[in-house]
Amino acid sequence: MKINKLLMGTLIAAIMILGACSSKTSDQEKSGNSQIVIGLEAEPTSLDAHQISDYNSSRAAMEIYDQLVQFKDESTEIEPDLAEKWDVSDNGLVYTFYLKKGVKFHDGTDFNADAVKFSIDRQIDPKHPYHNTGQFAYADFTFGMVKKVEVVDDYTVKITLKERFAPFLGNLAMHAASIVSPAAVKKYGADFTKHPVGTGPYKFSSWNPGVEIVLKKNKDYFNGKAKVNTLIFKPITDPQTRLAELESGNIDMIVNIPPDDLSRLRADDNFQVIEQAGMHLWWTAFNTQKKPFNDIRVRQAVNYAINKESIVKDILKGTGEVANTVLPSTVWGHNAELKNYEYNPEKAKQLLSEAGYKDGLKVTYWVPESGSGMQQPQAMAAAIQSDLAKVGIEVKIQTIEWGAYLDKVFVPVAENEMDMHQMSWIGDNGDPDNFLYILFSSQQWPTAGFNDAYYKNKEVDQLLNDARVTEDKGERTKMYEKAQEIIMKDAPWVVIDSEKQIVVAGKKIKNFKLHPTGVFRFANVEVQ
Amino acid sequence: MASYILRRIWGLIPVLIGVTILVFMIMHLSPGDPAKIMLGPKATTESIAKLNAELGLDQPLYVQYFTWISNVLTGDWGRSLQLKMEVLPLVADRFGATLLLTLCSILIATAIGIGSGIISAYRKFSWTDRSLMLFVLVGFCLPVFWLGIILQIVFGLKLQLFPISGMYSPGQTGLMDLFLHLVLPSLALSAGAGAVIARMTRSSMLEVFEQDYIRTARSKGINERRVIYIHALKNAFIPVLTVLGMQIGFLLAGAVLVEMVFAWPGIGTLMVNGILARDFPLVQGVILFVATTYVIVNLIVDILYAILDPRISYQ
Repeated sequence: MKINKLLMGTLIAAIMILGACSSKTSDQEKSGNSQIVIGLEAEPTSLDAHQISDYNSSRAAMEIYDQLVQFKDESTEIEPDLAEKWDVSDNGLVYTFYLKKGVKFHDGTDFNADAVKFSIDRQIDPKHPYHNTGQFAYADFTFGMVKKVEVVDDYTVKITLKERFAPFLGNLAMHAASIVSPAAVKKYGADFTKHPVGTGPYKFSSWNPGVEIVLKKNKDYFNGKAKVNTLIFKPITDPQTRLAELESGNIDMIVNIPPDDLSRLRADDNFQVIEQAGMHLWWTAFNTQKKPFNDIRVRQAVNYAINKESIVKDILKGTGEVANTVLPSTVWGHNAELKNYEYNPEKAKQLLSEAGYKDGLKVTYWVPESGSGMQQPQAMAAAIQSDLAKVGIEVKIQTIEWGAYLDKVFVPVAENEMDMHQMSWIGDNGDPDNFLYILFSSQQWPTAGFNDAYYKNKEVDQLLNDARVTEDKGERTKMYEKAQEIIMKDAPWVVIDSEKQIVVAGKKIKNFKLHPTGVFRFANVEVQ
Repeated sequence: MASYILRRIWGLIPVLIGVTILVFMIMHLSPGDPAKIMLGPKATTESIAKLNAELGLDQPLYVQYFTWISNVLTGDWGRSLQLKMEVLPLVADRFGATLLLTLCSILIATAIGIGSGIISAYRKFSWTDRSLMLFVLVGFCLPVFWLGIILQIVFGLKLQLFPISGMYSPGQTGLMDLFLHLVLPSLALSAGAGAVIARMTRSSMLEVFEQDYIRTARSKGINERRVIYIHALKNAFIPVLTVLGMQIGFLLAGAVLVEMVFAWPGIGTLMVNGILARDFPLVQGVILFVATTYVIVNLIVDILYAILDPRISYQ
């Protein structure tokens, strides 16, 4: 049929013209080089720093804001940010901050002590007129210990605590402690999340939901200008699509690379793989208050039976770092002297036999389908199941969806039906207290907190409580090191690894450094 | 006819009420607490209880349902728990993207489906027919997400003819840019529907070709193209139209997968993320929106029957 040939010809011509147009577009993009396009795993849920509770949001939003103090580059040590300096009263209860002068919010209003008070009170005071402009997930965690915030003068602010709390300064460097523009919150109300205004190196330009978030350089930034003009964050849920976009040069950097593709990218000269162990731990917890895991020998036996190196190497493909203790190596106070239980099935069998389980035992193991920080829960569970089978422990895996899983894990001890379960933790303020107290203090049994193994040891409790109210960092370090030693011996968990943060970027991106908190910093990044 | 349409519209109301109740129940009875998911595993019991109270989630279910439905009727679809934005503008905006994708796919599916169906029927049992039908069978069997990834790799990454994902290039909003971004996801989405339409057209055309009036038309010496497109196709089109109407529903559902693969900012991605976060107002809003569209499309298809075939009358 003649008509078919004609149709075919037209179709091919049309495709070629379209194709030509499309490559032209991407060439144009590549030449406009003062922008960085970042591929996120999912749509950010909020750009209001006070409402952020996930990485995608904090990565897109945090360059808009500053805090009174900040973490140094590549560490969780504290340095001044919007506060020039500060004093702490002798009783450790009153923090006085002296603020930098002449700093302006992106909307042109002045940063001052009122803005600090507004930013904290908005989150913690239910009677505050702007408390109803959001849900503040981290307010309790960050400011739960704050009694009151007082404005001394325009550039001095006094924060009084209910009780002594040594890690408080670390909290003030967190996202929830960002200082927002009171004028903008008053103007936009609950829509402040779509019109964020801070003092940071980048200011908000636009948010087209599902498509992109655009930030532009803040030319009046008080702490030196950023070097790149525009940051564009694009949510691309599918990891393979994210990878294809990076490889085609349409986006400049991506996170969470499928482990199988990572080795290929490492060998590719067009890309740089930037990695650092994160403030993260992945573990399997025992219900230490219930048979059979109320017996320390059984817990230690499971620890000896699991080949942790093999899990990290073969399943996680090196995207994690085997943990030697229950505090990540990136957090100060980490006890580098400690060793995790070596892989020793014989020793495991011997311990089981001593505990009266010579003929083996059956346990249930609860596993989420996926979840924040959970790495590869099902594959890791299968490896653990197979290791335990070798020493005579028959593991029945129960897999459920993350939301329902959390409901099952964090219940009062009497209601907990699990023998073993998986969990992970991502640190917030870079303080050891944020891991050890929250995860091992007996005051933190669910539902009051996150001690999901229902672990209880009086000596550990004492050390963790003392460390909370001691200002001297050297002394605190000793206490935390001792606590880790006891916890590792008691084995309430099998601690496996700290997930590495891995970013793959095009070679044109220079000076990009990861931060242990997982937040991206672009102020010093350049594009060549 | 007018009274038929009115009756059908009237009939939509109980269907939609049923949908709202069903969605509401499924979302609220499924395990997982939205406040707990929103606040993350680090939330305290007090803050979860406080948030539940703020969101009205501590009320009995029927109270929550009636509050929601009466708000919906007044145009207040609530605020997304997760995205913290108004649901109605959010859904309407995202629905535009899905509708664009679905319409484009239906156009491609119809063009390819009807075209190859007619050729197959006209040349029945020839090699052209067999290879076209094999092609159609393969098209029907390919999982849409797999096809999407292959299209991305071949036409996006290797040949660099089309953009790999998204709706616009970073920082752009042009119409041409949008069109280029539309090509690969529409192709991926149209494969299955195109295959169904092709098979339906073929069998329907085969049946019509056997009819006496076609023989009569040919014997009168009418141009063959006229016989096919005017005499045969018009009559063969009724069952095809039914399938087409149903396919729009499948396409809306298939769009969820295609949108995830192509990072297309439609309601599919919105809904999946909403479900994972137990974002009740958002998921309810999306489903209500989709259900209404689906029911309306079906109504339009029913009305089109009469326009295509005057023998069909409505009472």
